[in-house]
Amino acid sequence: MDTFIFIFLAVLTIGSGLGMVLNRNTVNSALFLVLNMVSIAGIYLLLQAQFLALIQILVYAGAIMVLFLFVIMLLNLDDERSLFSKVRAKYISAFFLGVVTLSLILYSLEGVADLLPEISPEMETAGTVEALGDVLYTDYLFAFEMTAILLTAAVVGALMIAQYKKSNNGASE
Amino acid sequence: MESPTALVSLIIGLPLLGFLINGILGLSSTAYRSKKTLIGILANLAVFIPFLCALTLFLNFDSESAAAFAHLFTWMETGSFSVDIAYQVDQLSLIMTLVVTGVGSLIHLYSIGYMAHDEGFWKFFAYLNLFIFAMLNLVLADNLLLLFLGWEGVGLCSYLLIGFWYTDMSKSDAAKKAFLYNRVGDFAFLIAIFMIFETIGSLNFEVILTSLEAFSGNDIFWIGLLILIGATGKSAQIPLFVWLPDAMAGPTPVSALIHAATMVTSGIYLITRMSPMFVMSPEVMMIVAVIGALTAIVAATIAITQYDIKGVLAYSTVSQLGFMFLALGSGAFTAAIFHVVTHAFFKACLFLGSGSVIHTMEHVEHKLHDKGKDVHFDPQDIRNMGGLRKYMPSTYKTFLIATIAIAGIPPLAGFFSKDEIVMHAFNMGFGEYAGAMYFILWGVATITAFLTAFYMFRLTFTTFHGSFKLPKLINGTEGSEEYLHESPATMTTALWSLAGLSIVGGFIGLPNFVSKTFGGDGHINWLHEWLHTIAADIPLTLSGTAEWALMTFAIIVAAVSVYIAYKMYGNDQQEESDAWIASKFGPFYRVWKDKYSLDELYEGAIVHPTVNFSDKVLAVFDMKIVDGFVNAIAGTVRISGSLLRYIQTGVASNYALFLILGVILVLTILLF
Amino acid sequence: MNYLLDLQSFLPGIIVAVAGLAAIMLEAFKKSANTSFSVTIGGIAVALLFAIQSLYGEAGTAFSGMIVYGGVGAFGSVVVLLGALFCVTISREYLRDLDLHNGEVYGMILFSTTGMLGLAVSNDLITLFISLETMSICLYVLAGLMKNEKIGAESALKYFLLGAFSTGFLLYGIALIYGATAATNLTEIAAAAQPTFLFLCGTGLLFVGLFFKVAAVPFHMWTPDVYQGTPTTITAFMATAAKSATFVAFVLVLTRMLPSSEIGDWQSVLQVVAILTMIVGNLIALAQDNVKRMLAYSSIAHAGYLMVGLAAGNEAGYAGVLYYLFAYTIMNAGAFGVIAYYERNHGLDFTEIDSYAGLGFKVPVMGVMLSVFLFSLAGIPPMVGFIGKYYVFAAAVQAGLIPLAIIGVLASAASVYYYLRVMVYLYFKEAHKEYSLKTPGFLFKWTLILLAVLTVYYGVEPVLPTSSLMELISSYYTV
Repeated sequence: MDTFIFIFLAVLTIGSGLGMVLNRNTVNSALFLVLNMVSIAGIYLLLQAQFLALIQILVYAGAIMVLFLFVIMLLNLDDERSLFSKVRAKYISAFFLGVVTLSLILYSLEGVADLLPEISPEMETAGTVEALGDVLYTDYLFAFEMTAILLTAAVVGALMIAQYKKSNNGASE
Repeated sequence: MESPTALVSLIIGLPLLGFLINGILGLSSTAYRSKKTLIGILANLAVFIPFLCALTLFLNFDSESAAAFAHLFTWMETGSFSVDIAYQVDQLSLIMTLVVTGVGSLIHLYSIGYMAHDEGFWKFFAYLNLFIFAMLNLVLADNLLLLFLGWEGVGLCSYLLIGFWYTDMSKSDAAKKAFLYNRVGDFAFLIAIFMIFETIGSLNFEVILTSLEAFSGNDIFWIGLLILIGATGKSAQIPLFVWLPDAMAGPTPVSALIHAATMVTSGIYLITRMSPMFVMSPEVMMIVAVIGALTAIVAATIAITQYDIKGVLAYSTVSQLGFMFLALGSGAFTAAIFHVVTHAFFKACLFLGSGSVIHTMEHVEHKLHDKGKDVHFDPQDIRNMGGLRKYMPSTYKTFLIATIAIAGIPPLAGFFSKDEIVMHAFNMGFGEYAGAMYFILWGVATITAFLTAFYMFRLTFTTFHGSFKLPKLINGTEGSEEYLHESPATMTTALWSLAGLSIVGGFIGLPNFVSKTFGGDGHINWLHEWLHTIAADIPLTLSGTAEWALMTFAIIVAAVSVYIAYKMYGNDQQEESDAWIASKFGPFYRVWKDKYSLDELYEGAIVHPTVNFSDKVLAVFDMKIVDGFVNAIAGTVRISGSLLRYIQTGVASNYALFLILGVILVLTILLF
Repeated sequence: MNYLLDLQSFLPGIIVAVAGLAAIMLEAFKKSANTSFSVTIGGIAVALLFAIQSLYGEAGTAFSGMIVYGGVGAFGSVVVLLGALFCVTISREYLRDLDLHNGEVYGMILFSTTGMLGLAVSNDLITLFISLETMSICLYVLAGLMKNEKIGAESALKYFLLGAFSTGFLLYGIALIYGATAATNLTEIAAAAQPTFLFLCGTGLLFVGLFFKVAAVPFHMWTPDVYQGTPTTITAFMATAAKSATFVAFVLVLTRMLPSSEIGDWQSVLQVVAILTMIVGNLIALAQDNVKRMLAYSSIAHAGYLMVGLAAGNEAGYAGVLYYLFAYTIMNAGAFGVIAYYERNHGLDFTEIDSYAGLGFKVPVMGVMLSVFLFSLAGIPPMVGFIGKYYVFAAAVQAGLIPLAIIGVLASAASVYYYLRVMVYLYFKEAHKEYSLKTPGFLFKWTLILLAVLTVYYGVEPVLPTSSLMELISSYYTV
């Protein structure tokens, strides 16, 4: 049963991903992304990562995508079509290279499907909030703290890039 | 004794520190350059404190002490080859260190006064400190490579200091000449170093000298010869001596320190250090002796004909260095070092005295210019001088003392060292190898000793005795005597110190036979005892009577020579006497005066043909074939560079394409 | 678990992060930018002292094996902090002229440094990834500082896009490795590793991510554009500290995760990439007329030499890489510093080689220093660059990779051409027009002089002879 759900979700994920990239209408594109996020959340659930699945929906599919859509609609980016330049050879070669990469990866994955670990009883609880919080503040404390710095830096950086022109330049000297 | 690392670090480090402080601050701050007192004091301390350190080491050392090593750090290490910055303190290096820092200190002191009005004051002292640093590396190194670094370092400093007033073309040419002649020697020395390393895989002196049996007789001969050629470059011997007289273009303290007392003796130091190797090859020993004696007499004969006060001293230096080589070649390594020491004292004193004279003559010229008189004369020409003893008593007295010392009049320093050398040459006449040759060399040395006393007294009498001749020779200089004055105290202090050393310096090497004759134990030659573990001397086999006879003969020769010089030059007869010699010796005199035409010979035989060859043949070969080849390669490379550049389109998605290409590359290598 | 001890083991990083927060807060409260600047310098300097101290301590792991302390990581931290310190000290006047002298920029530099410090001590692929991202995101922002210049905005965007692309590979690689071994800790991976396709593929992609960050060919395409479009002193920061941190992480991955050569043919990958990087980097550098771009390609070429040390795969090679990073940080920070100085006087297009004609005599001390740095980059003794190259090439020879060493030496010989070309312009060409240069500021000038002195000093006396670097590395195998 799990396998079938997985195949369904995987196809959905890849399909929506392709749909997002290939669609020329930005709003449609964004909606495909939402679908993509949701199906990934489904895969998380399948892997017993309940908390992660929930957060995936809340944060990505919810908050971030809504922001995305707002921005897209506000900026009215429909004439982005011109972005697609005339260089066709590039896309063709990109396609072939993509196929080669994919086949390499698939080839490498082929013989190892049965190597994936069986889901054990401990792993069943691994995705809960308690379990997650427990390891996050003990074993993975370093990564957690580093992430805090990463996020701070990202926020400050985004502001720096976005701000129009520093007003207090003169004053700071 | 305990490890000398701390003291050696100070000895080596302080001159370097002095160089860095004066160099960097002088380079970066013009305000600092004008603080001459501070610069002078720093530079002096940077040499004087090492002198005290060396003295401390010396006092804790005795003639039986084993060498002590100071390993500062390993410079680089690869496989079996490692270069250590390590120093060896033993009897020989201590003597040399004391001379370098001691005489160096006095000359630094003297330079404060001498260079006081030069705007390159800071630079001068920075260079001097750098020189001391390099020289100390040379004499203290425990391996040949570090010694070679010092060897090149002193060459560099010599170049910088000869060309110190580089705006004068002839002076920078002299610097270039010195550098090039040195390079010829250095090249030979370097080959010798390679050969030694090739044979025993180490450049450490201790290792080399304890594994001499690893060398074949042929090796010893060639290594010895190559080291000798290296030494003839640095120590100004035939055939590479012509740079030294030109090197007098540098400031006089430099001539005193580098081109008389220290650097030029490094060849003698090197051969003494390697003496156990040299005595294994009588052929090389004889070549060394022949070169030494020949240089001695050639330079002495040239010195008779010179008018430039520093020129005479320069040829005299070459000649004395010849004596030292004769000593080396006669197996009298101790005597050679002895002569290095005494020569450092009296020759430094003579040079500084000449500097004092030049200083005052230049002062006269400046004063006359200030008076609005447009007169020009050579402040170094002894024909313009005369009678200076009235005006510069200290300079005169010290100069005279040093002259007596160099002339070989007992009991001043030069007598003992020169006598020992001559005696050893005579002694070698009874040796198994080429005895007759050594007798001839003894004769040459004796004649040279006679000439030495003669030209030195000619110089002294012409400069200081008689009357001041400038006013008679050049219009507009009447009454210029009043501008003659004694030099400042910093200069005369140095002069008197060196004169004192010239008097007593000989007592470190009193001849042993004197003691034997008077019933002593025959061990009054302190230096001999001190160096006996290092210098592989060939012992004297002469009887006491023969030695007394030789010594008496030497004294008579010197005394006669001084007497003749006094008769000929004692009272303003310089012009007539020179003319008389010229007429008596006719063609010889012309050869001497032309300095054996060696410069012209080298110019005609080596420089011109080389220039022509490179101009006509090599340049064409270079342009057409070498350059063509190189250009072809460079062109190909540049073109492929330009082609590759087209990949860099600036379009981000193309970049991503290449990234994917890279991924495929990496995965392909890994998976297949 | 003793958290205090854990915190202590990452003290330099914590200090730098706190300094970063302080710099931004000071800016927010409208303190003078100079205050932020001082906090930055102070923070890095204190962190550097602790890092140097830990260099002499013992090695071990902390934070449940997420990071390592002491040993290689400590050395990496020292190099990263040195790079950051020098780049900040030479930055003030330059950034002030660009109107970028403010607390936020210094804050970003400090956050980025925190990421680099994490990278240099990472013992877990999660640590490696998050640290790498912390470093990169700050660098994306810093690359876009000149957002009003076309070239600045463009380069930042390219950097970001390609960076995100490569991060995708990196993360995918980590996921595959986890899939293959059920571990993210480097030593645990090493214990569980089998040369399966899954594992090889994952590691290959991990390598790709790292190759991108160190600008190895063919993952280097972003480098020249980004280096050119970034304020020069920040470029110096990217070229020295960021590259050093990534290389140290690389060394950690190779020594701790792939200690046995039986798991995959890593050496071949590194060799091929090293050869490509050395050849392409040097060849294109030959054809450059812009000094900043030339330095960008030269930094690619240097990544190639470093890769030779990695490819050697022995302790001498890793020690050579570490020493080379130290050398490279000193000389490259110096070279970029002088270029920033020239640029400051005449605007951003003052990096064309033509404009360097006759410049050497204008402010002699700057000309001389640029020559020292370029000589060192070219690997001419007795500069520190020579010693670095010597160590890596010697290690390659020791490992039997003689062709690799020969290609390296040849490439390095070719590089002399474009370094000396700058000097030819500096000293042997007539200046096109008369102009005077600003007097360099005190801190700026003396930082550069210090760098030049270090360049020569460590060329004469190598700081840590390789034997003690090797001890650092072998202390690592045992942790």
